[in-house]
Amino acid sequence: MRQITATLCCTLFAAASVNAAPLPSDEPNDLDALAVADQPTATPESTQNWRVFGETALARSAWRSGATSASEGRLSLDLRYDRVIAPGLRTVLSDRLDLTRSDAAPRETNVNTLREAYLSWHARPDTIADIGRVNLRYGAAFGYNPTDFFKAGALRSIVSPDPASLRENRQGTVVIQGQQLWSASSLSATYSPRLGSSISDSTFALNFGATNPRDRWLLAGSHRFSEQFNPQILLYGGTGVSTQAGFNLSGLLNAATVGFLEVSAGKGKSLTAQALGTAEPERTQRRAALGLTYTTNFNLSLTAEIDHNSAAPNRTQWNAFTFGAPANALRLLGAAQSQQDLPVRRSLFFYAAWKDMALKNLDLSAFVRHDPQSDSRVQWIEARYHWNRAEVALQWEGYSGDSLSLYGSVPRAHRVDLLLRMFL
Amino acid sequence: MRYGMSDPATMIAMKNMLVSAAIATWLSFSACVAAAAPDAQAILAASDAVRNPAKPFGVVITLIEYRNRQQTESNTLEVYSKADATGGQYRSLIRFVNPPRDTNKLMLKNGNDLWFFDPSSKASIRLSPQQRLLGQAANGDVLTVNLAKDYKGELLGDEDVTDGERVSRRCHRLRLVEASPDVTYHRIDMWVETASARPVKAQFYAESGRLLKTAYYRKFAPQLGVERPTEVVIIDGLDPGWVTVMRYSDYAWRDVPDAWLQRDYLPRFKPE
Repeated sequence: MRQITATLCCTLFAAASVNAAPLPSDEPNDLDALAVADQPTATPESTQNWRVFGETALARSAWRSGATSASEGRLSLDLRYDRVIAPGLRTVLSDRLDLTRSDAAPRETNVNTLREAYLSWHARPDTIADIGRVNLRYGAAFGYNPTDFFKAGALRSIVSPDPASLRENRQGTVVIQGQQLWSASSLSATYSPRLGSSISDSTFALNFGATNPRDRWLLAGSHRFSEQFNPQILLYGGTGVSTQAGFNLSGLLNAATVGFLEVSAGKGKSLTAQALGTAEPERTQRRAALGLTYTTNFNLSLTAEIDHNSAAPNRTQWNAFTFGAPANALRLLGAAQSQQDLPVRRSLFFYAAWKDMALKNLDLSAFVRHDPQSDSRVQWIEARYHWNRAEVALQWEGYSGDSLSLYGSVPRAHRVDLLLRMFL
Repeated sequence: MRYGMSDPATMIAMKNMLVSAAIATWLSFSACVAAAAPDAQAILAASDAVRNPAKPFGVVITLIEYRNRQQTESNTLEVYSKADATGGQYRSLIRFVNPPRDTNKLMLKNGNDLWFFDPSSKASIRLSPQQRLLGQAANGDVLTVNLAKDYKGELLGDEDVTDGERVSRRCHRLRLVEASPDVTYHRIDMWVETASARPVKAQFYAESGRLLKTAYYRKFAPQLGVERPTEVVIIDGLDPGWVTVMRYSDYAWRDVPDAWLQRDYLPRFKPE
């Protein structure tokens, strides 16, 4: 009886399974695709310890006066070498040479930027020490990084206003530093000694006066409290530098959106005093960037960010600063560029990056920085097409606003660059 | 002494016999069903074990993308993965090897944390799951994933399906529905070979029900002690001419300390 019942059950269940099963799915499309996948291909490339590319660019600028325009040509060689030379010992060298010729002054500019050159010793997998020139970069925001404390004096050759390019093409700081890691935490201590006092424009200058003008230190710690809460806290100071505190946080708001917050606070001089070289008592300054990045289902990432710098002039201070001295606007921009600081009290920043836009391997990037105080803007857009070892890009940058506005004071109205990059 | 139908002892004996028969029938039925319909989650876990080594490991993945039969892109990645001691889901560190413009860039996946690191700019950027770095392949495609941890499986039945090498295989057909909110795909239909628990084919769906992609697992070979797929062919759901081949090579056991799997280690990552 039991056997009969069990057999009956099994038979019924098997019949039900067969009835429920859909037809075998061997669609012709899938078979065609599998045939494509059968094509032989080259064996995977092994890991390279270096990356080298050459770049050539042609540019044309139009000046705001409308009287003249200028042409420029640039040749660049960019090298990055990163290798473990002995167990636990890693060496990094990163360098870039830019040779520029222009039909406007300065007619010839040759700048070599030693971005990084350091040794890293992994005493244990979780205990690491570095010595040498290191590009120390901190920050969660896109357009303005208040906690990127070693950014001042780091720019030596600016080939694009794109924040991504500015982060990459800069001189590191000579440091001795140690880092200790735990399973969900990290603590690093950095000492940056004074190695020079003046900035050098000569081609192969190591330019310690720009990157190491005084003794400085930095402590940075982070802890992963949860997947959503992994803040980073920084303390920075040095000889003649009031202690600054910094905080970084980013988190996932939903499957398509990331939010970020970056703040710093500490005593310091105003940007106008730095631009004019005047003495003034230090006041507590607060800097912040708050934003989010949303990615569409067609891989277009849009970032909106609001930036704040209490050291920059507000509208009243701006009007007073430039009244009767329009050249002061350029002085302020120059100081802000050198410090990589925000030149305006409050600014809106939008960034878009679209991979494979309309055409495979065609990427679009663009940003707009809007100064609501004097109603001026800087904007930049790039279309870049890439092959495996080559890229071609067309870039446009423009400054708009009236002559008394922040970005309207820039003599160049707009500029177009066409560049070709070849990887070796 | 004759026992009549009305005898209470006989009645009790008859009742006990009927109850026993009913229990025996139910137990037989249960055993039969259990034998014919194994637990979907167990099938999925067995299939995960075929794809994913049990201990921390490294593997090289080459992604070759075709459009209309022409190769349009190739990427090579080194992947280091280990299962989380508590949750069981994999945590991965991925290094871009090729093309040259992406050499030594990194991606870290640690639970909901997804970070991208560029050694040139030293920028660690948190990514959302929707941000794709590799064309057609979602970030989740190149990461080691235990599907049994993230999806609730249902066994739809058994059927014959043509595998990636055009061989008919008897498979369990599973329907996987997201069990955690941060998964790459809303629903997956998956075919797992009944005899070996090998993954054979999978179809990935958006929340709208649209077919996003079809994957075939093929070219099984001994890797780290188990026959594992060394190739996955991904076919786009809308454009069947858009094909990505993911090739797995150089499997090796690797030490992946927990300290590696955090944002602040990314600038340090340089395997010897």
